[in-house]
Amino acid sequence: MSFNLAKFVDNFNPEKDAGKVLLVLNAAGMLFAAASNTFAAAADKNTSAEDKKFLVPSGIVTGAANIALYYKLTQKIMDRLKDVANTHIANLSDNELAQKAKELALAKINKAEKGFLGTGLFKKKPDLIQSMKDTLLTKDGIATEAAINEFKKQLPNGASVMGAFIGAVIGSAIITPIIRDISAYFVQKGMEKRNPHLKDVPYKPYFDPAHIESRRYGHYKKQPLSMKNYMAFTNSKLKI
Amino acid sequence: MKINSVQQQNFKGRLADAATKSVGNLIAEHPVAVAGLAGSSVIAQKIVMSGSEAVIGPVIDIGIGKAITKVAKEKDGRTNQSSKVQAVRTFAQSVGGTIVGVAIRAICIAAAVKGCMTIGSKAGSELGKVLNPDKLSSGAQKYQYSEKMGAWGKALGGALATVVMLFTNFVVDAPFINWINTKTMEFVTKKPATKNIEQKKETQNAKEAK
Repeated sequence: MSFNLAKFVDNFNPEKDAGKVLLVLNAAGMLFAAASNTFAAAADKNTSAEDKKFLVPSGIVTGAANIALYYKLTQKIMDRLKDVANTHIANLSDNELAQKAKELALAKINKAEKGFLGTGLFKKKPDLIQSMKDTLLTKDGIATEAAINEFKKQLPNGASVMGAFIGAVIGSAIITPIIRDISAYFVQKGMEKRNPHLKDVPYKPYFDPAHIESRRYGHYKKQPLSMKNYMAFTNSKLKI
Repeated sequence: MKINSVQQQNFKGRLADAATKSVGNLIAEHPVAVAGLAGSSVIAQKIVMSGSEAVIGPVIDIGIGKAITKVAKEKDGRTNQSSKVQAVRTFAQSVGGTIVGVAIRAICIAAAVKGCMTIGSKAGSELGKVLNPDKLSSGAQKYQYSEKMGAWGKALGGALATVVMLFTNFVVDAPFINWINTKTMEFVTKKPATKNIEQKKETQNAKEAK
């Protein structure tokens, strides 16, 4: 049961599936954000124990539904796009494959010459650019075996990354707001049912326990967490 | 339970179909551009994700608020009002989260790339074997080695950033997002935010008490 660093690190192997690494990291970020919001609700001293019984499970359910839907949907999109990419490669003739590999190699060299290297470090490195040219192109400017293999490897990986991007957009811009807003409405109604006076509490959109930085907002704490406030609170959705 | 599961599956399947159908042709038509995406890091993902969230998210917030008000036949329009405030907050979170998130990711990735470049050349180490199983030489095979370690650095830097942001969320993001929220609210309502007025009152009261 001992922790194996090498085995753990291998889970992030970008060569296996670059898109999956992005998906897993984004889902982990969403999980941490949802967990910190729910924890903040559970730890808030100004929320009654009765309300917490309602707020905490709803936070967990909403967070879990959101992440699960995002993860499954994105995985599906990624798998399908990878299939499309693999089929495309299989349908290319050797000449077409060499041509596409050359185009990719030239695009990479061009990018590197402008100072953008695939290493994430924006520095123009002449020796690295030369090594890139020697590896990817022959002296006659034809794609080498290494360049062809790179294209074959990068197209499904690029398709997978594209799927991860599409999933992230659908997840963050469509699924999350819909689940969040609808669940916040029901939580609000539930709270108002048990605490009818909350209907008259003026809305303070800045009440946000997870974001309180000092005692500056102390006066808000004197009031119970109203559901309209809860909406701002539960949606604090700390960005990871 | 089974029906629900099948329905859910179909829903996800249909969504995935719709999403992949339109971009499937893109792969065939522009394979080189798509292959170029393989080197993207979590920074690109964050920009794409938050950019779309800043534009689409507020529209959905307001739309849902209107829909709930209509369906629930709410007379006081409280949900509608809340949704407008939420729309501003969604925008503030997207913008603030992106600025801080991109900066932290960039720092973590740069550090991880440098770390991988060093570790990958140590063929004897356990981690070196994982990062560089083909024992690529950092000298003779400079391009392949740099490319591989760069990809590893982006992935591991992204993982490192996720952990770092557990802390920076509270320390940096939260006050920054609240500041953007206040400014956006002031811009939208064309009057100083409630928080500022109440803060001023609070400071005044504190001074008077002294």
